[in-house]
Amino acid sequence: MIAMSFFTGLFAFIAIVSGATLLIMIYFDNRNVRIDDGIANFRRHIDALSPEARQSSVHRNNSEDRRN
Amino acid sequence: MARDLAIDLGTANTLVYMKGKGIVLNEPSVIAVNRQSGEVLATGHDAWDMIGRTPSYIVAVRPLRGGAITDFDITERMIRLLLQRVGVSRFTRPKVVICVPSAITEVERRAVTDATRRAGASDAQLIEQPMAAAIGANLPIDEPVGNMVIDIGGGTTETAVISLGGVVALEAIRVGSFDIDAAIQSYVRREHGVAIGERTAEEIKIQIGSAEPGPQDRSADIRGRDLVTGLPKTVRLTAEEVRFAIDEPVAAMVLSVKRCLAKAPPELAQDFLARGMYLVGGGGMLRGLAARIERETEVPVKMSPQPLEAVVLGAGHCIENYQALRGMFMGTSR
Repeated sequence: MIAMSFFTGLFAFIAIVSGATLLIMIYFDNRNVRIDDGIANFRRHIDALSPEARQSSVHRNNSEDRRN
Repeated sequence: MARDLAIDLGTANTLVYMKGKGIVLNEPSVIAVNRQSGEVLATGHDAWDMIGRTPSYIVAVRPLRGGAITDFDITERMIRLLLQRVGVSRFTRPKVVICVPSAITEVERRAVTDATRRAGASDAQLIEQPMAAAIGANLPIDEPVGNMVIDIGGGTTETAVISLGGVVALEAIRVGSFDIDAAIQSYVRREHGVAIGERTAEEIKIQIGSAEPGPQDRSADIRGRDLVTGLPKTVRLTAEEVRFAIDEPVAAMVLSVKRCLAKAPPELAQDFLARGMYLVGGGGMLRGLAARIERETEVPVKMSPQPLEAVVLGAGHCIENYQALRGMFMGTSR
């Protein structure tokens, strides 16, 4: 009976520690993702304003207007 | 499926950009309404021809003044008609990006988005005119350098310093090319005792108006109504007189540019000296205005190749890259 409760307690302890570790890992992982997201979003934003990106909208219209 | 739209809802002109197609509509922001029945009789060029020449039951109005909506119902009807004309139906509700002055208040901002949604848009986002103008004028705003854009519209003058895709400094005043027309009207009434309409005043501005003396200075005969006799009268107006008449609004525009320069971080000041400032908007086409700003600020001023379309082209680029450039819309987090 004592042995069983010892193992149950041990397993419960290991489960709690593993769960907590997992949650901490997920938290830090999410934090990293958010930082990366910021960089990626900013890059996307800047790339969308580059002359190459504007080729299809602004430049095309400019040349069309000149033709007209 | 509706194609998303970008609209430059200006005090003077309205331009519409359709995703994947480019500019599909460009006409004056004027609407003619039957005062008794409330019916819309004409919009755009047709309504523009009616200004000052309508019988008492018709009113031809500009629903925007100083870049802001002055008549909500008429603006909503005008946007609804615009959307219909570019193929938007009751079943196709596009996303719409609208260019507005940066000095717009929260109430005015809501008036524009509500009018656009009620007119048939599924989503209405606003973008500041100087930012859209900088994109449309092909300025390298994706680089960490100072780009200065001066947008002179019908009702507003907005100057912005833009770097790395965002506004660094901004100065906006509710003085535009309509104030120049009003100053001409007022001068002719005061000095010559002749009443002229806003269309005549605009023609004078285009023909002989200037902000700096130049070799093209000449005079023009203008026709109006004598304030004493009530009879038609012709008077001769010189370029120098017009320059004197419009000096107040022109000085206000130049002062707002100077204030924006003063707000800009010193690191960017050297960029302006090297790259110059860019002038966009119909008001920027006033003869000698670029030279006057250049003289008073000692910074080179360049005219955008497409001053009238730059704003809508910039907003059009935002609608083409809606997700990536969402952060540029007013009221969204960057």
